[in-house]
Amino acid sequence: MKVLVAVDDSPGSHHALAWVLDHLFFPASAAGDEQQPQPRPDHELVLVHAVEPLHHVMFPVGPGSAVYGATSMMEAVRAAQAETARNVVGRARLVCERQGVTTAKTVVVVGEAREALCRAADDAGADLLVVGSRGLGAIKRAFLGSVSDYCAHRASCPIMVVKPPPDEEGHDGQRTSSY
Amino acid sequence: MAEESSAAAAAGEGRMTMVVGVDESEHSYYALQWTLRHFFAGGGGQPQYRLAVVNAKPTAASAVGLAGPGAADVLPFVEADLKKSSMRVIDKAKELCAQVSDALFEVIEGDARNVLCEAVERHQAEMLVVGSHGYGAIKRAVLGSVSDYCSHHAHCTVMIVKKPKHKH
Repeated sequence: MKVLVAVDDSPGSHHALAWVLDHLFFPASAAGDEQQPQPRPDHELVLVHAVEPLHHVMFPVGPGSAVYGATSMMEAVRAAQAETARNVVGRARLVCERQGVTTAKTVVVVGEAREALCRAADDAGADLLVVGSRGLGAIKRAFLGSVSDYCAHRASCPIMVVKPPPDEEGHDGQRTSSY
Repeated sequence: MAEESSAAAAAGEGRMTMVVGVDESEHSYYALQWTLRHFFAGGGGQPQYRLAVVNAKPTAASAVGLAGPGAADVLPFVEADLKKSSMRVIDKAKELCAQVSDALFEVIEGDARNVLCEAVERHQAEMLVVGSHGYGAIKRAVLGSVSDYCSHHAHCTVMIVKKPKHKH
C-alpha cells in the first residue's frame, strides 16, 4: 500500500507521521520486544511537503508564460524556501529512519497546500493520503480553512486524518496544540 | 463488562482496534472491502489488527419523522423493516469479513454520527473507517454528513474511503 504522508513543521503533522509509523508500519509490536522490529515490507511511504508559490513578487511579462521577478532577490527567496523545504522533509525522513523505515521517499510540491496534496496523491497513485489535524473548532475552520477538510472531500484516494493527542492540560500546563 | 475486557485484551496484545461503520450504501461496503484488502490481507495467521464492524440503526421514530395521527400504527412496521435492513447489512458484512476470524459485528440504535463516535470510545479504537457518499457542499449542508461529523468529533484517527469517481 502506497501511503502519502503530508508533512510540514507543525506538531500535528509530526504526530501524524509518528502515528502512521507506529500503527501501519509496525502494527503488532509487542511490549518487551528486544530486537528492532521489522517494518511491514508491503507498505511504501512517501513524505510530501507543500510549498506556497511566491505570488506577490512575480509578475508576468508580455504574452505567454514568461514570468520575471526582481531577479536576484527572487532567486534568493526561492533558494531559501527550497532550503527550508528540504529541511522539513529531511527531518521527517530522519524520524522514519530512526524508527526503522529506511525506504521513505520525499516529494516537495509547489502550490497551495490543499490542492498540492491532492494533486500529489493523484500523481503518485497513492492508496492513502495521511494528514494531521490542528483540531480547530468549527468556526475557526470556516475562517482559517482546513487542509484536512478539503483533502477529505477532494482527494481521489482514501484519506486519513490523524487527530492530535488529547491535551495533557493541567492548570499550569502548557497547551500543546495551537487554537 | 464483556466489551471492556475485550478492549483491554486487545490493548494487552498490542493490536490496534479499528471500527468500520457500515450502512446499506455501496459506499460503505466499498470502504469495508478496501479496509480488508489493505489491512487484513495476509491469509492465514492472526490478523494484525482487531476489527469491529458497526451498523447504526435509526430509531423508528426518527425514520418516520413527523409524529401525527396514525404514526403510532406505522411504527411497528417501520421498526421491523429497519431491523431487517440492519440484519441484511451485518450479514453482508460478515460475508465480506470471512477471512477475519475475530471480527466483531454490532448493530446499535441511534444516529450514525453518535453511534460511531461512541463505538470508538467503547472499543478504545485507534481508528475509525467510514465510507463517503461524496456529496457536494450543498448536499452535505442539507443532508448532513456522517463522515464529516466523525472526522471532527471522533477521538481517534479517522479514515474516509471514497469510491473512486471515474475521471475521463
